[in-house]
Amino acid sequence: MAGAPDERGPGPAAGEQQPRVACPAFAERLGQGKPQQGFLSSFFSSNQKCQLMLLKTLQTNPYVKLLLDAMKHSGCAVDRERHFSCEDCNGNVSGGFDASMSQVRAANLSGDCSLVNEIFRLRFGLKQHYQTCVRDRAILSILAVRNISKEVAEKAVDEVFESCFNDHEPFGRIPHNKTYARYAHRDFQNRDRYYSNI
Amino acid sequence: MADGFGWRPPRPCEAYRAEWELCRSAAHFLHHYYVHGERPSCEQWRRDLDSCREWEERRSMEAQRSLCESERGRVQTARKHTLVWTPRQSPPADWHLPLPQEKNK
Repeated sequence: MAGAPDERGPGPAAGEQQPRVACPAFAERLGQGKPQQGFLSSFFSSNQKCQLMLLKTLQTNPYVKLLLDAMKHSGCAVDRERHFSCEDCNGNVSGGFDASMSQVRAANLSGDCSLVNEIFRLRFGLKQHYQTCVRDRAILSILAVRNISKEVAEKAVDEVFESCFNDHEPFGRIPHNKTYARYAHRDFQNRDRYYSNI
Repeated sequence: MADGFGWRPPRPCEAYRAEWELCRSAAHFLHHYYVHGERPSCEQWRRDLDSCREWEERRSMEAQRSLCESERGRVQTARKHTLVWTPRQSPPADWHLPLPQEKNK
């Protein structure tokens, strides 16, 4: 398992100095993205559906359970009512972070670059193609929230790629699917025994 | 390493077996090749599983040493990348406060 998970924050702090950006953080909150689609004869509004999906995810998804446990362990107890928001998303963005490190980690640890997802995007490659995908998705995500050129975005990602790609906190591995995420959660819950016996 | 009283394998033996079996699965082979461009090597999990069982049965010192060495190696491998961010000890005190542009829900 990777190093002690309590040394790392989960992302740039809200109070830290952020470089000036053309698009503010959480740009999608300002109403960008595709308009609300009409759900004909549905009993629930899309917001209610989102809330239900959120509740189910928090209770059952091993990726989310591990991340929230790790955040709680680091001093950030996340509250469903307070810290989650259901918003319409522009399809180009994954995550709402604004640093190249965060985007590399998001693309790497979210399952976004699975072989199946890439095939659906008609991007074919097998041997070590994963890293190409992570790099490209990270660059796309940065370009979606920053007013910079592709070259600058590529340079930013390339500078941090080696380190960020190998940073699997708090999973300790790349969680390719829920089985890996479950094992990672099990390891996280076992960490006290682990570190006191090596 | 906690020598003497109270030491036990860092993971339950079932965990070593589960990791070994996951490592050997066809799906893992595909994931690993897709990420690293080479086949995974699973022998170390098997060795750790054997050491764990040996310790459970016979409290072998050699098994304990071998397990500790293996797990420390894993920790070292995971830590060898240089840090991009400076780790901090606690979150900022105001992390939970509303964002400046948050609208009322």
